[in-house]
Amino acid sequence: MFSCLSVMNRKRALISDTFKVNKRRVAGPLDVKATLQDLMTLFPRKLFNDALPQIVLKHQLYSVHNDRTQVDRQLSDLREQGELLMFQLGFDRGLWVGVRTRGTVEKFLEKMLPSCNDMNSEITQLVKSGVLTVRDAGSWWLSIPNSGRFTKYLIQGRKAVLGMVKKSKYNKVLKAELEERQTNSQVKFQIKYHIHDIIGAELVECIPTTSGTLLRCVDY
Amino acid sequence: MLGFLTARQAGLDDPLRLRRAESTRRVLNLELNHDRDVDRIHSNGINTIDIEVIEGRYMLSGGADGVVVVYDLENNSRKSQYTCKAVGTVGRSSRYAHRFSVETVQWYPHDTGMFVSSSFDKTMKVWDTETLKPAEVFQFEGNVYCHHMSPIARKHSLIAGVCVTSSHSHRGEVLSVRWSPRYEHILATASTDSRVLVWDVRRASGSLFSLDQHNGDKSKASSEAVNTAHNGRVNGLCFTVDGLYLLTMGTDDRMRLWNSANGKNTLVNYGKVSNESRKGLKITVSRSCSPEFVFVPCGSSVAVYTLHTGELVTMLRGHYNNVDCCQFHPDYQELYSGGKDCNILAWVPAVRPPDVEEEGTAAKVEILAQQEQLKHVWGVVIRRRSLFSF
Repeated sequence: MFSCLSVMNRKRALISDTFKVNKRRVAGPLDVKATLQDLMTLFPRKLFNDALPQIVLKHQLYSVHNDRTQVDRQLSDLREQGELLMFQLGFDRGLWVGVRTRGTVEKFLEKMLPSCNDMNSEITQLVKSGVLTVRDAGSWWLSIPNSGRFTKYLIQGRKAVLGMVKKSKYNKVLKAELEERQTNSQVKFQIKYHIHDIIGAELVECIPTTSGTLLRCVDY
Repeated sequence: MLGFLTARQAGLDDPLRLRRAESTRRVLNLELNHDRDVDRIHSNGINTIDIEVIEGRYMLSGGADGVVVVYDLENNSRKSQYTCKAVGTVGRSSRYAHRFSVETVQWYPHDTGMFVSSSFDKTMKVWDTETLKPAEVFQFEGNVYCHHMSPIARKHSLIAGVCVTSSHSHRGEVLSVRWSPRYEHILATASTDSRVLVWDVRRASGSLFSLDQHNGDKSKASSEAVNTAHNGRVNGLCFTVDGLYLLTMGTDDRMRLWNSANGKNTLVNYGKVSNESRKGLKITVSRSCSPEFVFVPCGSSVAVYTLHTGELVTMLRGHYNNVDCCQFHPDYQELYSGGKDCNILAWVPAVRPPDVEEEGTAAKVEILAQQEQLKHVWGVVIRRRSLFSF
């Protein structure tokens, strides 16, 4: 019932746009950079002994801002300016990860390319150390070394948090209540990090209610 | 709406503005109407429907049983309760019928005397509508998933029908093919190898470019080989009405909007668009609305998204099983959708409810009759404008 109310509001908003009946309050410009910084503070550096930089998943940004297209566009702008690096976790998965940088990729490539005499052995070394991963015969992706542990913890934690939502009565739980809950040893990151992750990946539905946001499991 | 009418009368507003505003309002009000029905002829799922562009009166449908049906959509009965009757059927008993599932049907774009159907029995047949006999049969070596005739071509009458083995640039089956509605030589193909290629038929050497979801550097030849439009099979392809943008739909549950001139991903994010179909999915876009909408079959409902912002407007629920195809009727802003439950549902803009003051059934009947009249007048307004616009 709540979802149909929100749909009605959206339709009314679109109609009033067309007929210019009420001037909609234009929200302030999206600040993706500020959100990125906020989300990065949730990432636990100590767990990986500072071997990994602070990582934020792209879909966590969708849980904070409503307009995904604007988020995507600002992210690609930041990428072009060189302030952000995007990596793909795992093969063929749409999971994108963002890392704040200060021009390290350009410096890396500048140093690498002139000094490469024997391409093949150097490439094998780089793949072994985890800096390059194979994309296709003859082309490679740049990757973050030791990101395997990160992926493992992320998936473990995601399953555990989703399990918590599923076990709740009626498969629903208020977001504020979930944030307060104690996490078991499976969950290594902060629970807020996981909550942003599951909302953004559309594994749970966000329903606005009078007592706050409700998270409900989506069955596919 | 009265404000728009007065402004148009006084010459303050361009007539197009009223049309756009009212079309958008009607699309936002789409719902299942229990007065409108389509004859149920198919005994197996419906794979494809097509509405002719000349009059908007006749509709074709092709089913998984090899049956092709022609319906008349116009309501001449003066009653609000109307069933769109089938005026012709190529049934299982006809000796010209397809032996296996019909995957695509399309009216000849310039008149309704002819239509083309292609099917899994590896043939494409060109039919004469009067006699319902094929005038021409083309044999292929593999399954034909999709074919398309250019809606604007004057200099050529090519039917692009693609099957598995003939194309050396696609490494998998081609699930969908579309001509551009803007340039009569441009063609786009989508296949199971996750790539979408854009071709110019005048150039024999190969495709113009392939769409890259990461908007990588196009100059390197090595990167062209690994460009992927989606992370899975690409099974839906649709140009917008003005031909400037191309929509693609993939089994990675994503829909992407591309600039058709340079192949750049516009990065519009529609969220997770669930797509479990193994074959092609027929998506469709609205016409002369502002903002434009795209209708996507999503499981057993049809999802309506705003084209350029990616917002989900609504989900049209009504089918009992998976929806395979949908088609927008541009004159009346109606949507027809067909699926595995063998039904074609008509989604009609909701009528305005009668005012509280006018009680009694007589008044209700009068109002419904007025709505029908209004719809007729609206159709005439649309057609008159379309003679002069673009």
